[in-house]
Amino acid sequence: MSKEQFTIPIGPQHPALKEPGHFTLTVDGEVVTGASVRLGYAHRGIEKAVESRNWVQDLYLLERICGICSHIHATAYCLGVEKLAGVTAPPRAQAIRVLVAELERIHSHLLWLGVAAHQAGFDTLFMYSWRDRETVMEVLEQLTGNRVNYSANLLGGVKFDVDTRVLETILSGLDFLETRTHHYLDIVSGDRIFLQRTRGIGMMTSEQAERLGVTGPTARASGVRRDIRVDAPYAAYDRYPIQVVVETTGDLEARFIVRLKELLETYHLIRTLLDGLPEGDLKTRMPRRIAAGETISRVEAPRGELFYFIKSDGGDQPARIKVRTPTLSNMASVTQLAVGHQLADMPMLLTGIDPCFSCNDRLTTVQTSGESETWTWEKLRQYGIASYRERG
Amino acid sequence: MKIETMLRDIIQSLFHKPVTELYPAQRQPTPQRLRGKLRWNPEKCTGCCLCVKDCPCSAIELITIDKDNKRFVMRYDAGRCTFCAQCVQNCRFNCLEMSSEDWELAAMDKALFTVTYGREEDVQSLLGCVAPTGDPAGE
Amino acid sequence: MLASLFALLIFPAGLFVLVNGLAYHWIDRKLVARLQNRVGPRWFQPAADMVKLLANEEVLPTGVDARLFTALPVVALAGALAAMIYLPIAGLPPLYNFPGDLIVAVYLLSLLTLCTGLAGAISKDRFSIIGATRALTQLFSYEAPFLLALLGPAFAAGSWQINEIMAYTSSQWLILTQPVGFVVALIGLMGKLEMAPFDTPEAETEIVAGAMTEYSGRGLALFLLGREVELVGGLTLIAAFYLGGINNPFDYALKTLVLLLGVAGVQTLMTRLRIDQVVGLWWRYGALLALGQWLLLLGQRMGT
Repeated sequence: MSKEQFTIPIGPQHPALKEPGHFTLTVDGEVVTGASVRLGYAHRGIEKAVESRNWVQDLYLLERICGICSHIHATAYCLGVEKLAGVTAPPRAQAIRVLVAELERIHSHLLWLGVAAHQAGFDTLFMYSWRDRETVMEVLEQLTGNRVNYSANLLGGVKFDVDTRVLETILSGLDFLETRTHHYLDIVSGDRIFLQRTRGIGMMTSEQAERLGVTGPTARASGVRRDIRVDAPYAAYDRYPIQVVVETTGDLEARFIVRLKELLETYHLIRTLLDGLPEGDLKTRMPRRIAAGETISRVEAPRGELFYFIKSDGGDQPARIKVRTPTLSNMASVTQLAVGHQLADMPMLLTGIDPCFSCNDRLTTVQTSGESETWTWEKLRQYGIASYRERG
Repeated sequence: MKIETMLRDIIQSLFHKPVTELYPAQRQPTPQRLRGKLRWNPEKCTGCCLCVKDCPCSAIELITIDKDNKRFVMRYDAGRCTFCAQCVQNCRFNCLEMSSEDWELAAMDKALFTVTYGREEDVQSLLGCVAPTGDPAGE
Repeated sequence: MLASLFALLIFPAGLFVLVNGLAYHWIDRKLVARLQNRVGPRWFQPAADMVKLLANEEVLPTGVDARLFTALPVVALAGALAAMIYLPIAGLPPLYNFPGDLIVAVYLLSLLTLCTGLAGAISKDRFSIIGATRALTQLFSYEAPFLLALLGPAFAAGSWQINEIMAYTSSQWLILTQPVGFVVALIGLMGKLEMAPFDTPEAETEIVAGAMTEYSGRGLALFLLGREVELVGGLTLIAAFYLGGINNPFDYALKTLVLLLGVAGVQTLMTRLRIDQVVGLWWRYGALLALGQWLLLLGQRMGT
């Protein structure tokens, strides 16, 4: 055998990737012997841009970090800013935030199911799950007026109320989705040929999951009981508790099952929430200038823990906002798990964490020399300290 | 363990109409709360400019013709608008609303996105003294 | 002279099968779409694709042998078309026949995959090379069972000449006596045509377009046409052997379309198999089952 390695580039432009990312796979025949990832193709400079807009304008910019889990970004931001300003949104607003977040979770998980099925080459499941996803998209459209970027949040409340017409749409939609979700659960845990592609593939033990720092459904599929909605309830989750769905096998099949069972849990949550929707105002007054201080805000996005750091210096614009999306935490698991698997499993392994590249691209350095350069953790830290010292 | 888990679905589909929406040949009714093109009613506007201040994408511009007599003209750029409805929330006099019918806004020319709202004579006086930046489709 | 030219250019091995192939390709796509509750393409879509591809610029990638690169699609299509001469296209008796033409026809049908593999292998593109490896691996795994499945009827008829086998199968439906052979032949045809779930050699989400990645314009169009011709030829062969022969155009259309519906059903029902699973499936089940049935037939023949 020659010493030369056969590498396969996946991305930045590749049919398996809906967004730009780059994976270099070293293969021996069909078996992957090494994998590395390069991110940053979709860096948009949002964190910098928010520093030159006011608090209200930032809400809409941050909502556009992710096209799929847009509402949860806005929620994390609103909760953080409200905490800084010492304002609490009314209970009805908090409940509606949860409602939209959970509807968004349904839409995100069904979307993921379709994409993952497509990556496995099961286009029929893809088409059907996306057909059914239309139901929840229509519900969201009735509730907020938009299919994505609902812009339901306001600083200090929400924009849209649940009236009887919307209520009926949601409930009938949920009934349909519940039967379909049971059906999909049967498929992903019973279809023999599909299981050949998922069972035992991408095995991640709970120790590995802890060490790699994965979050969200990916971690819960490996037996890590971690869900911000339960561990640190925000918005109205303390009043509407949720059962954490955990699978212990840690393979791709478990990731399918966890996400689908989470959907069932979500239907249940939405029904209880709509039953006891608190009466009251939708919004409260919010100051234009936010008191100086800093805070963090953690929420459970469909993909895992979403983290916001918000710092105010007392003005009408934030001093610094740092966003860490779940994809970044999960990305390390892909390159780790890839080794030893077949090339054909790579698209599925990658999709298993439900990646969202443009969400996680946070840093780009422009190099003129053309040579590659490795930044160590320490160098990055020193760079950050120096940079902030310069700004004062 | 089966291999035909989706057999029922596909047999059902064979005898059912496809669900694909045949837009634009057939149009579905739009949802009530759909946020389409912004509309402005000049009668009640006090010129507080709160809508302009919080617009995340500088899509609206309020031009004062005569501050004392509350005569304003609004220039709205649908090409910049992200349809977030923050301006509608901000307006204390309900001058602004987002149309749920007017949403097919694609245009071949950038200039066609700009709409100038206001009283007829105000728009005319504005266009007379300022070079027009877009289609003077005053409403 | 004029008659042979007609045979080569118009019917059966020319324009007719090309149009027939495009039509069947559309029907297949439409059926898959309807099974997935979608609308699917309009009737002229495959033809429009072809016209567009033929009008497109053909890019010659650097590092390939230009002569081979342009010749391979032509050979592939020519091979598939040549096989049509020996097949009862449109229910009419085969144009030419000689003892053993079944073997020639089957190998002419294999030429396409061989050319695909070569086309990928001469390319410098990594996706093409992997696609070519997979295409050839798959070729070696389904070819033997597929041939065995077609030899079953030949064996029962006691001849390796297509029209003689047809004369035998017209009187009886071999699908009833040799169901295993029928299934193996149909699935083998799907493997040959690289249809889902056997589309590993061109698995879009893994290796872009496999061996075809570097092809564009005319070359790609010819390869795709070759595949469509093969779809017609393969369905004809299976219908003629297993579904009671095809004796007139109506018979032909009906039986091949029923087969096409079956093919579309299998395409929608299954997940793409990995290349190791494809090889495993064929050698562990396909080949053994076909061989078992063959031995059974042999035993029967010896017994009588």
